[in-house]
Amino acid sequence: MGPMVLWIILALLTAAVAASLLVPLARRSQAASGKRAGEVEVYRDQLKELQRDRAQGLIGAEEAEYARAEIGRRLIAAAAGDGGDPTSVQGPVRHRIATAIVTLLPPALGLCLYLGLGNPGLPDQPLEARLADPGSNLALLVAKAERHLAEDPNDGGGWDLLAPIYFRTSRFGDAEMAFRNAIRILGPNAARQSGLGETLVTLNDGIVTEEARASFEQAAKLDPDNPRPRFYLGLGLEQAGRAAEAKAVFEEIAGKSPPDAPWMPLLNEHIAKNGGETKPADAPSRAPGNPTSQDVAAAQDMSQGDRQTMIRGMVESLAARLKEDPDNLEGWLRLVRSYSVLGDKPKAQEALDQGLARFPAAGREGQQLVALATEMGLAVKGADREGVTQ
Amino acid sequence: MIIEIGHYALVLALATALIVSVMPMIGARRGDMALMTLATTGSLTLFLLVTLSFGALTWAYAVSDFSVMNVWENSHSLMPMIYKYSGVWGNHEGSMMLWLLILTFFSALVAVFGRNLPETLKANVLAVQAWIATAFLFFILLTSNPFLRLNPAPAEGQDLNPVLQDLGLAIHPPLLYLGYVGFSVSFSFAVAALIDGRIDAAWARWVRPWTLAAWTCLTAGIAMGSYWAYYELGWGGWWFWDPVENASFMPWLAGTALLHSALVMEKREALKIWTVLLAIMTFSLSLLGTFLVRSGVLTSVHAFATDPTRGIFILCILALFIGGAFALFAWRAPMLKAGGIFAPISREGALVLNNLILTVATATVLTGTLYPLVLETLTGEKISVGAPFFNMTFGLLMLPLLVVVPFGPMLAWKRGDLLGAFQRLYAFAGLALLAGLAFYYAQHGGPVMAIFGLALGFWGMFGALADLWHRGGFGKAKFSVAVRRLAGLPRSAFGAAIGHFGLGVTVLGIVSATTFGTETVVEMKPGASVDAGGYSLTFDGMRDAVGPNYTESRGHFTVARGGVTVADVWSAKRLYTARRMPTTEAGILSFGASQLYVSLGDAMDGGGIVVRIWWKPFILCIWGGALVMMFGGFVSLSDRRLRVGAPSRRAKAARPRLEAAE
Amino acid sequence: MTRKQKRLAVIGGGMSFIIAAVLLVMFAFSQSVAYFFMPADIAKADLKPGTRIRLGGLVAEGSVKRGQGSTVSFTVTDGTGNVPVTYTGILPDLFREGQGVVTEGAFDAATHGFVADSVLAKHDENYMPKEVADRLKKDGVWKEGQGPQGNQDKGVATR
Repeated sequence: MGPMVLWIILALLTAAVAASLLVPLARRSQAASGKRAGEVEVYRDQLKELQRDRAQGLIGAEEAEYARAEIGRRLIAAAAGDGGDPTSVQGPVRHRIATAIVTLLPPALGLCLYLGLGNPGLPDQPLEARLADPGSNLALLVAKAERHLAEDPNDGGGWDLLAPIYFRTSRFGDAEMAFRNAIRILGPNAARQSGLGETLVTLNDGIVTEEARASFEQAAKLDPDNPRPRFYLGLGLEQAGRAAEAKAVFEEIAGKSPPDAPWMPLLNEHIAKNGGETKPADAPSRAPGNPTSQDVAAAQDMSQGDRQTMIRGMVESLAARLKEDPDNLEGWLRLVRSYSVLGDKPKAQEALDQGLARFPAAGREGQQLVALATEMGLAVKGADREGVTQ
Repeated sequence: MIIEIGHYALVLALATALIVSVMPMIGARRGDMALMTLATTGSLTLFLLVTLSFGALTWAYAVSDFSVMNVWENSHSLMPMIYKYSGVWGNHEGSMMLWLLILTFFSALVAVFGRNLPETLKANVLAVQAWIATAFLFFILLTSNPFLRLNPAPAEGQDLNPVLQDLGLAIHPPLLYLGYVGFSVSFSFAVAALIDGRIDAAWARWVRPWTLAAWTCLTAGIAMGSYWAYYELGWGGWWFWDPVENASFMPWLAGTALLHSALVMEKREALKIWTVLLAIMTFSLSLLGTFLVRSGVLTSVHAFATDPTRGIFILCILALFIGGAFALFAWRAPMLKAGGIFAPISREGALVLNNLILTVATATVLTGTLYPLVLETLTGEKISVGAPFFNMTFGLLMLPLLVVVPFGPMLAWKRGDLLGAFQRLYAFAGLALLAGLAFYYAQHGGPVMAIFGLALGFWGMFGALADLWHRGGFGKAKFSVAVRRLAGLPRSAFGAAIGHFGLGVTVLGIVSATTFGTETVVEMKPGASVDAGGYSLTFDGMRDAVGPNYTESRGHFTVARGGVTVADVWSAKRLYTARRMPTTEAGILSFGASQLYVSLGDAMDGGGIVVRIWWKPFILCIWGGALVMMFGGFVSLSDRRLRVGAPSRRAKAARPRLEAAE
Repeated sequence: MTRKQKRLAVIGGGMSFIIAAVLLVMFAFSQSVAYFFMPADIAKADLKPGTRIRLGGLVAEGSVKRGQGSTVSFTVTDGTGNVPVTYTGILPDLFREGQGVVTEGAFDAATHGFVADSVLAKHDENYMPKEVADRLKKDGVWKEGQGPQGNQDKGVATR
């Protein structure tokens, strides 16, 4: 149904309202009738009630007489006032102004306010219908999978599929649950354990907790060649202040990695920080915005105020780096999230718009930004639903 | 499209409300029937439009249309259907819609059933109702619009606040609002009468049933809310003197006073001006309640809106209506004629005393609730006024009221016989004291003062029975005669007795639960057991469970008495996954009117868990009494007398005959 | 008594009831009103032990220690001052280190520690007790809108 139908219905509604209000005006105006009849009836009932009360001894004989006199006086006054009410006798009154107002106000006010407030072009979007035809909307696909899992929570494959998506779309709480469920049902493997560990680290502001460490350790055991869990293990040692051991771990990873691996600069940095010597590598171009563990550790020691300032500082520098190197989806996601968490909605919106300019909402990467925006309550400009479904 | 129709209907409702606000009032001034009739059709149209709009919003919730921001913020597709519906009013915007719906519903009721009201009065009343509707429509459309859309629509909602996902919430706010908003009718009648400059007898006949209906709903709503807080929040209390609780309690107190003063006015035409003032105050307190809850000016368990523009908007509404009504009152009240006279010792006098105590008690609660706010605004100092303050002031003020309640119905109208009332009541007073002693003995000790508290509860109950006893004439006349006489009493007499009886039951429950209740906080390991209220609870261990949108770990307990297992109960720590919000689900077991209440605390190292166990003897009497009061309200409402004020067309056509007066 | 005297007696009775109520309210205020303090204020204020106050701030990281049974001790901080608190009972569901909290109680004469009988914690991710939030905001320790939708205020207390 197009918007045309909507407008027709709205017009009919307006007409119905105006008509219902016009009915009393259209009828021949009668003068107000005697308006005190009800009152007389009430007084008579009061007298009856007085008799009852008297019979039950709820009022003394003398007082009952007084009361009867009081009510009687009012009754007479009311009866005398009945009928001839001079103000109410008027000939047929014309209601030209009233009719005009009643006819014009609903459509005029209705249209003005509604056009300002409403979204006539936006159709209803019941979730069932949207889920039946999700297209390539990642969020909807996730929702669909979630519903499937709600019905069949023991489908480990579903959890396994969802968990990394949750992580990438910054739904870390859900990611944790999904990873745990996948591990519970399908048993541990390196990817799941490592993913759970990273989720836990993210949830704990970059600290490698005991539980996360256990998770990484298991992942490292299952897939000894994967540098990822091992790096976090090293990070944990570094955060625990065991620099020598940390350095050993980092150096071991570095030794196993090809020299042009993208994580080499980061590794070297950590090796250096823990007192090791590194080969002079390329320019230190670690993934922009990832706070080094040093930053994080420093943040822990600071007072609240300083920490806020530092977080602000880190976010600003991330923004600056993204300006130079906008092809970093992770960076944009992080920036939007950071601003949102700091409560700076305009900045978050700005970051989102810039990110979307680079990664259109229609694309796979853009979808992650859209999902994040949704979570953070930000508006996605220029991306209609139709546009999203490619 | 349905949503947009709903949105548009709301805008149309505003236009209609504006028309109904103005035209009937002009009609009433000019004696123009057509314009006055506009109030009736207009109010019905208004109600239909708001219903349409509310229905559209409810539909959006039911089908989880997350393109509606309000739905996205407060719903979740996996929520049970009942909470999708109750989620409609589980948030600020939706609850304002419910407020409006009920307001227009009452207007429609007046429009339909007020066929026989004096035309000018009816037109004015409906116009005043429409003013209120207009103000709230502006408020909703401009600051709290539930129909704002999101594009593109998110795939999943943010879930309803878990604390609100409960059957209690499904019923509590609508009942409370029926009460709150029901008082708007009394208010509109008062303002209309002031505008008219005349209050006739039909006025009181009309005001009383509306007040009674609102009061009955409010009683139910408050009791419901109190019970909801008791079992949902998991800290065993049933009344916290939280600002929001006070906000609903103050209109109830004032409404109770109004109910009684309207009685005097209805029967004896006395206390006119006071009744009008009370009607205005009661609804003002309802509005204030809305303001306190909605603006979030006070830190509270309930405030879900903390948007300052809304606060300022509500403040304006408040100032406009309360200030306007009081100004009107100051201007017009001197014109109202005084009514019947009475001696200080009389039924009227007793009702005045009732009004005095209730009004002062309301003022006390109001002071305690607003004082921190005022002080912070003036000096910047932050204080908290907590339960001790209210218990001391309100509790002490209520004592004389509870003592005198049974005397009221014993006194005759106009001039009563206090000595006679004493003679009729002393046997019942003795019985109440005995019952208090017996109760005290059965509970094995406690503070001695509790005896008096208990006796006061019994006094309320027995006093109500004494009223019926004497009105039937039991003990004087033959039993069969007395029964027949009792059966012939008007329903309102029964309603009053039942209401007073319920008050006694509630007092009994409060005294019993607070003085004889026990509270035990222990760390328990599986297998350990602890005693409470003569029962012994054994901790069986923790088990995990999964709900539709939460996971929980339950602590299971076996309850035994004298070595025999009588029941088992579990309490849980629940985690709602969407908001990652933990809540505590209390385990509650009822034994008669008493309850065993188990709540879990933190897990300790070594497998133990902190458990809090309360024994609450006769606590159900608190809400049971409220239910009895509510029932009394219904009985009273069914009295045919209340409908006499509105005679049929036929009766009106007949000339009144003066013989009836003699 | 004449009618006039009667009326005077009634009015006098009513007035004395109201005056009694006013005195009662004033007395109750003096007895049971609790002032709100942050740890930094405590040092400046000269508080007698036993005076009921509300103490608000953040629960210091790493300060929560469980003692005997359900007794818990923790430190309330506002960045400048620290106050050790002990509390017996069940903590609110959302009591966490680094989060806002409001406790009510009094200083103990013997130990000089703060003994709380009620603890109020933020009830979900977006809520901070109002008094604490106001002050922390003023002091710049805490910034507004730590969650996407700052409108779900649910205070929960245990007593």
